Amino acid sequence: MRETRLWLLSLACTTLLLFLLGAHFALMHYSPVFYGQTVEETRTFAALLERGRQTAFLVIYLLFLAAALYHGLYGLRGILLELPLARSYGRWVSGALVVVGLAFFAYGTYVTWWTFTQ
Amino acid sequence: MSMTSQKPIPPRPNALGLKGWVYAGRYSFERYLYLLHRLTGVGLIVYLLLHIIETGQRLAGEGAWTALMALFATPLFKFMEYVLFAAFVFHALNGVRLKLTELGFFLGRPAQPVYPYPSSVKRHRPLTYVLMILAALTIVLGGSSLFF
Repeated sequence: MRETRLWLLSLACTTLLLFLLGAHFALMHYSPVFYGQTVEETRTFAALLERGRQTAFLVIYLLFLAAALYHGLYGLRGILLELPLARSYGRWVSGALVVVGLAFFAYGTYVTWWTFTQ
Repeated sequence: MSMTSQKPIPPRPNALGLKGWVYAGRYSFERYLYLLHRLTGVGLIVYLLLHIIETGQRLAGEGAWTALMALFATPLFKFMEYVLFAAFVFHALNGVRLKLTELGFFLGRPAQPVYPYPSSVKRHRPLTYVLMILAALTIVLGGSSLFF
């Protein structure tokens, strides 16, 4: 049951990521096609702060960060747990990935919040 | 000797090890999609972690950020960006296929196991082809707008 819930959460994250990552690529990597702006213009420090100060972007970035980290590390866990190693290894892998995920989420949240408050 | 006295043979999970990930054997096309899905997935998670650190460079101020963006504007990084885009497109569209089939779509109605046995893989293969053609087109179009 626990594994089913973890899988369902990953499934929900994929749906969110499909839209958010698609939009992220459109904005940051294909801005000339979608926004009529050069990539360099989209990535200036001023443009970065202008976007980051908006509440909508704050919410989107945090959702994006959480969904991408969860889905990515959940997938990595699945790969690592398939390795033919000792049973206790599974608990260590899961624990280590939770720590890594929380650390990166905390750092990403701090950077996002710092931008929002500039 | 009775059958009940025999100890059961313990299962051997992923007995092929690394070879099991790269050798498709008789499992054909979908097995290679599975391998590519894993490779792109690992690549994307590694990139995500680096990307979180890299975007934190803004904390060092405008000068550091501008220098980093100048580095990303070089042809090598442009190419790596395109590889990343291609990995995302493939992973996303193959992921759509996996989720749809895991949820029971495009598998047809359940049938009696009568020889020749129906294959769920073959039943959803048209979906596989459509999604992979879509992925290829998106990757080509993405490359044309990034480089030209």
